[in-house]
Amino acid sequence: MKNHLFMVAGREIRAQVRTKAFVIGLIVSVLVVGGLAFAPKLLGGPDSYTLGRVQVAELPVATFAPDAEIKWREFPDEAAAKTALLDGDVDAAVVSGSRVLTDGEIDSELGLLLQSANREAQIGASGVTITPLAMESVGADARYEGARRGIATVLVLVLFFMIIGSVMMVAMGVVEEKGSRIVEILLTSIRPWQLLGGKILGLGVVGLINMAAILAAGLAGALVSGLAADFPPGMTGIVIGALVWFILGYAFFAAFSGALAALVSRQEEVGNVLQPMTLLLMVSYGVSFYASADPTAPIATVLSFIPPFSSMVMPVRTAAAEVPVWEVALSGALMLAAVVGMLALGARIYERAVLRTGARVRLLEVITGNKP
Amino acid sequence: MLDITGLRKTFGADKVALDGVSFAVRPGEMFGFVGANGAGKTTTMRIVMGVLSADAGQVAWQGRPLGFAERRRFGYMPEERGLYQKMKVGEQIDYFGRLHGLSPADAAKATTGLVERLGLTERRGDAVEALSLGNQQRVQLAVALVHDPEVLVLDEPFSGLDPLAVEALAEVLQERARGGVPVIFSSHQLELVDRLCDSIGIISAGRMVASGSVDALRSAEGQRLRVVVRDPKPGWAENLPGTLTVAGDRETLVVTGGDDQAILRAAVQAGRVEHFGSERPTITEIFKEAVS
Repeated sequence: MKNHLFMVAGREIRAQVRTKAFVIGLIVSVLVVGGLAFAPKLLGGPDSYTLGRVQVAELPVATFAPDAEIKWREFPDEAAAKTALLDGDVDAAVVSGSRVLTDGEIDSELGLLLQSANREAQIGASGVTITPLAMESVGADARYEGARRGIATVLVLVLFFMIIGSVMMVAMGVVEEKGSRIVEILLTSIRPWQLLGGKILGLGVVGLINMAAILAAGLAGALVSGLAADFPPGMTGIVIGALVWFILGYAFFAAFSGALAALVSRQEEVGNVLQPMTLLLMVSYGVSFYASADPTAPIATVLSFIPPFSSMVMPVRTAAAEVPVWEVALSGALMLAAVVGMLALGARIYERAVLRTGARVRLLEVITGNKP
Repeated sequence: MLDITGLRKTFGADKVALDGVSFAVRPGEMFGFVGANGAGKTTTMRIVMGVLSADAGQVAWQGRPLGFAERRRFGYMPEERGLYQKMKVGEQIDYFGRLHGLSPADAAKATTGLVERLGLTERRGDAVEALSLGNQQRVQLAVALVHDPEVLVLDEPFSGLDPLAVEALAEVLQERARGGVPVIFSSHQLELVDRLCDSIGIISAGRMVASGSVDALRSAEGQRLRVVVRDPKPGWAENLPGTLTVAGDRETLVVTGGDDQAILRAAVQAGRVEHFGSERPTITEIFKEAVS
């Protein structure tokens, strides 16, 4: 009997994976997410300067800007340096007599760097050494706060779009089978729970393929672009966690959608009948978006335990801030229980509604009533 | 033997769809299920297939109440056709074979056999939505037949088909019936039912008004006599039973029962007898008689 579940799932996977929409969607999302990893570099990223010098020694600029990329070029005379400046080949040129030539106003950061380096060089030359200030934080390690929030924000979007996309596929598939009455033939050979379960499983695998591809593209992009250097420790855990939470959230919302979709017989009615599910998902999205900006807020903490909100809020919280392992485990256990409950309820509603074609079936009637 | 006993089904509070429907179909028998729209054919078939549950009554196969396991060995074609529109013909037939419990090898073999038998070989790799209605119906039939079912329940299998497709489908069904499978099908095409069926069931407003072998129903209808007399004396049939129709100088008397010899004598005296013989009522006539 289990076999049938996998047969149905297999059909769903084959039916989806072969469509142009799936292939194109996958390529586009991989490119977009992979490209996003390069965005910080294009927008800001570590500074890089090319400096010229004419008959003077190199200034110890690197001491004051360890992250910056500094290149020196030597010119035989001021005229050559000027030409290079005006051509934009160098950002500034140090020439004899403690002068710096620039093309227009100097970049203020570069100006400061050169001043500091000059001071250091002259003090060093006079034999005095200065102990640099050592910075010590007495608060939490906030180095990765920015990166964590950025990752959390991206995660919210990815989770939301992946869940709603996959869940809509489940709903549309259910209505396709009900509307065409193919379900009448199917249900003479397999049980309703196998049909719904197989559909949820199959489309879940398709969603997981998408999700894994997007996360892999994001990580690969980050590695290539050098953004990965800014990642907080435990990034692998965050990614694996996101996949697990995606599975839980998807299972819950998919069972809910499958049950609701079984109430109607036409694709045009799907949007309407799914409203309770969409609303719940939108609220989860809103709260987790808020949590990505303020991961320690009480509402984020509370909702990260309450299913189904927890399926989106908890992964975002763990990405945005440190969360004790027991909290994640408890939240996961509660969500898993909710998933099991929703699957059972969904299967019951589905079984009682899917063969009742025609007008929309009332939910309450289905839950309390007898089989048709 | 498929036994349907005392099926009752109401929709809502007061709409009685079936009111004690009973009939039986023997192995190898083609059973034509006829009745006006809304008479209860589809409801009965859906109950047989377990798509609907009956309020009362039962369906038994080989003496045992029908359950899910038995129904899996049935073949079913619902009234409103259902196929995955974007799935390929061959894959679809194969998929349903697998769902009905065939091994991958058996499903592939059965699919190839049916595709050839139903003339779909060239369309095997096409999506169902690209097929004509007639060809989609063939695929639908293939889906019902792929697991070599023990019983066939087909709701309006011939509706909307061209004569060639009707022939092809009829042949396949007769072949299955000869193999010992009871075949129930509903249809509004009474000539077709007349030609194909060994027995029929007539349902009207949720009740079976007649069922049994076609021969038995015909005899029950009674011997019918048709006499055609050319240019008879006026009023020759006034004292005879039956109905008289006049067309030009020919007058036709149709009598059910009565003394055929007396009628013949009267006809001979009246004029030139062009036709005298007993005839069998058509299914259309039996149907009209039964539902009136």
